[in-house]
Amino acid sequence: MRIKVERRLETPKFIYILIPLASIIASLIFVGILLFLIGVNPIDAYSTMIYRAFGTKFGVTELFVKTAPIILTGLAVSIPLRAGLWNIGAEGQLYMGAFAASFIALYLSPPPVVLPFMVIMAVLAGMMWASIPGVLKAKFELNEIISTLLLNYVAIYWVEYLVYGPMKGKEVYNFPYSDLFSDYAILPRFFGTRFHAGVIVAFILAIAIYILITRTSYGFAVKIVGANPKAAEYAGISRKKIIISTMILGGAIAGFAGMMEVSGLHMRLRAAVSPGYGYTGIPVALLARGNPLFVIMAAFLFGLLYVGGSAMQTTYGIPVAVVDVFQALVVLFIIGGDFFTRYRISFVFREASA
Amino acid sequence: MSLLLWQGGKGCNFYKLVEHYQGIEINMGNRKTKTERGWALQGENSDIILEMKNITKVFPGVVANDRVNLEVRRGEIHGLLGENGAGKTTLMSILYGLYRPDEGEIIFDGEKRVFSSPKDAIESGIGMVHQHFMLVNKMSALNNILLGYKTPGDPLLDYEWAREKIRSIIEVYGIDAELDERVINMSVGEEQRVEILKSLFRDVKLLILDEPTSVLTPIESERLFQALKRMSEKGLTVLFITHKLREALEVTDRITVLRKGRNVGTLITKRTDEKELARLMVGREIDMKIEKKRVEAGKDVLKLENVYARNDRGLMALKGISLSVREGEILGIAGVSGNGQKELEEVIIGLRPVEKGKILFNGEDITFSSVRKRTRLGISCIPENRIETGLAPSLTIEENLILRDYESFSRNGFMEFDMIEAHAEKLVEEYGIKTPSTKAPARTLSGGNIQRLIIARELSRNPLFLIASQPTRGLDIAGIDYVRRKLISLAEEGKAILLISEDLEEIVQISDRIAVIFEGEIRGIFDRENVDIDRIGLLMSGGADN
Ligand SMILES: Nc1ncnc2c1ncn2[C@@H]1O[C@H](COP(=O)(O)OP(=O)(O)OP(=O)(O)O)[C@@H](O)[C@H]1O
Ligand SMILES: [Mg+2]
Repeated sequence: MRIKVERRLETPKFIYILIPLASIIASLIFVGILLFLIGVNPIDAYSTMIYRAFGTKFGVTELFVKTAPIILTGLAVSIPLRAGLWNIGAEGQLYMGAFAASFIALYLSPPPVVLPFMVIMAVLAGMMWASIPGVLKAKFELNEIISTLLLNYVAIYWVEYLVYGPMKGKEVYNFPYSDLFSDYAILPRFFGTRFHAGVIVAFILAIAIYILITRTSYGFAVKIVGANPKAAEYAGISRKKIIISTMILGGAIAGFAGMMEVSGLHMRLRAAVSPGYGYTGIPVALLARGNPLFVIMAAFLFGLLYVGGSAMQTTYGIPVAVVDVFQALVVLFIIGGDFFTRYRISFVFREASA
Repeated sequence: MSLLLWQGGKGCNFYKLVEHYQGIEINMGNRKTKTERGWALQGENSDIILEMKNITKVFPGVVANDRVNLEVRRGEIHGLLGENGAGKTTLMSILYGLYRPDEGEIIFDGEKRVFSSPKDAIESGIGMVHQHFMLVNKMSALNNILLGYKTPGDPLLDYEWAREKIRSIIEVYGIDAELDERVINMSVGEEQRVEILKSLFRDVKLLILDEPTSVLTPIESERLFQALKRMSEKGLTVLFITHKLREALEVTDRITVLRKGRNVGTLITKRTDEKELARLMVGREIDMKIEKKRVEAGKDVLKLENVYARNDRGLMALKGISLSVREGEILGIAGVSGNGQKELEEVIIGLRPVEKGKILFNGEDITFSSVRKRTRLGISCIPENRIETGLAPSLTIEENLILRDYESFSRNGFMEFDMIEAHAEKLVEEYGIKTPSTKAPARTLSGGNIQRLIIARELSRNPLFLIASQPTRGLDIAGIDYVRRKLISLAEEGKAILLISEDLEEIVQISDRIAVIFEGEIRGIFDRENVDIDRIGLLMSGGADN
């Protein structure tokens, strides 16, 4: 038997649905094998995950709470992706948003208007942070993958420095935390759970972005730049403007995610504001192929993993890092799966003609 | 036998004859024709290298090939003719292993074959040069030729051996290319020669050329034909797609005509003529006798004053161009490509910065205006490089048709999808773009239909000024006729047109004035009344005007 790899000119539509699904399933199997190797029955583990997420009111609301920031970072990656840019920096943009929001909450602004003001500053901080790689790309063709990735470290260590130093709270012993925010600076919560107002905003934002990129002329311009930058220039669309604006828009959303996390969940600034939501945005955007509505769906999957991951930690003592493993696998499988959109594999059992 | 009928029947009912003819060919079987081959160039011992039988290929909504039979003899140059979208490229792509036929079989070199990839095809001895080139831009010609090839001593690349082999190919066929130049810096003609070298390097027996001359200058075409003839003398077989009947008649031994996916006849070149071929292709006669009425030229619409601009390599490509295009006139720019035409086009639409000099549009200085502003002022452009510049191949036909005006298809920032659809339906109908759906990706269009799409978009904008760069390249005769008439009627409405074309005949046919460009300078401007073709030819090649 011989395996033949052939180039395809026509890509059947179902491949585009099959690849994400197959990637998810393959990743689940892989992680299952890993679990098995460390002595955990994968079936039990997965059913625990499912049960934790769907079995209780607490689980369901937690699922939403964890899904919301992933929707936002998924959007932050998706928007530039449509213009052909890789925003690996949603994590850093999220941290800068968290920092800006916390700064307002702790030091500035009169109480009653503090929430909107926090939102504005977080969004601005995310925009500013994303504009750096955007401008560098537009002006000097500097690779945005590298610049966004490196700026993540700057942002994360900046926040860490603050919570260990200048912004460290008075009553937090030796934890890297700021003081708690005042009640005015905390997003309203519902159902007696951690389900906060930010979750609803995340869903609304996803729909708004969907409309923006599929229905408006701006979205059309982004699409043209993504499809053929040269044709875009010829069509009078400034590629530079689109590069910068999509990055900034992505940054704004990631920045808001940062505000939402500190104000809705932690109620203070702390180290590790995000367990890597910014990076989770990447597989989410890939699974969704840049479509905001699919981003919601893909984000739920990863939200489920985060909820389930912490359940596994408490039940089986498996580190939450297993979620990172899963995430990495999905990215690998999707990128690998891209191969199948361009090539066709067939098995030749006997040579047709020698 | 069939040939006699064919000849005798010229005046009679044409279609009946076609059917008759085809019927006979099929009944005869392929081998029997041998006796009739006294006239063939190859003489008695020529045999059949390729037989495609009953090939059918259906794309969603289109039957691209409908039970096509094609028979090619060893050592012949076989022409493949047909309208845009007739299925020529598809048929050749099937042969080359790019597509799988839904039905039918291929017998190559005496064996039944199923090519499932170009690699298969190349290994069996079939090479193809595509309508749109497929080289790696950032690599040198040499590396492109070697890409995927195992030189002796693999896995190490034996460059010396390769150079030697290429050198001998160049010597035999006279197809020359600068081996160490990167493809990105090459002219299309040169790029094509690299593609051909790439095939010859792999010792192919059959070379497919998909519209090779549509991008070539007449001189380059002539060189290519010489090479093709040498190939044929050496026993190589060539399958040659073209829209230019004269070329087909000049260079081929036999010609097969496709219409709407069907083979409507295989003719012996010596025994046919342009008229017959045209009728076979289109099904009606096209006179091509176009005459532009002399319109009193109005005021200057576009005016270039001493314009300098650099090319991509940073060298000065436009050296002090001054010209003006007036209302109601077509100004033709004659010249061998690579003499600044591309830069001229880009400077006018705003894609390339002007180094020195001024561009005026209706008196307004637009030297530094954005592309968008110029588009809005009423400048349209059919760019020379359609696929790279003029089109977003992955987007739909609908979307491509509004590429330059998408903002006027939106209200308050929201796209008006109904309007966009109606617009597309209208243009597809009006410009005869062959497609099953306006929502199909533009890349599924045939080469000529891509060209129609771009022309439709640019002309329907109702521009005040149009740059038409090689506007009829890749079009079939009906399409050429249509576009030329359209350009003339635009000019007669008072629009100004700058026609950049390598086809001197086209320029002379429809221009009011002709400017000759050479090495970035305008070497002379002629009124139509006193064109002197010889002198234009001389100036185009850099000769002094005296
Ligand atoms: N990949 C594809 N998907 C769908 N339709 C296709 C595809 N490729 C070709 N077609 C359709 O098949 C028909 C034949 O196309 P083909 O490219 O073979 O034409 P052609 O004879 O080469 O024309 P041209 O002279 O314009 O290059 C066209 O109607 C085209 O739209
Ligand atoms: Mg074609």
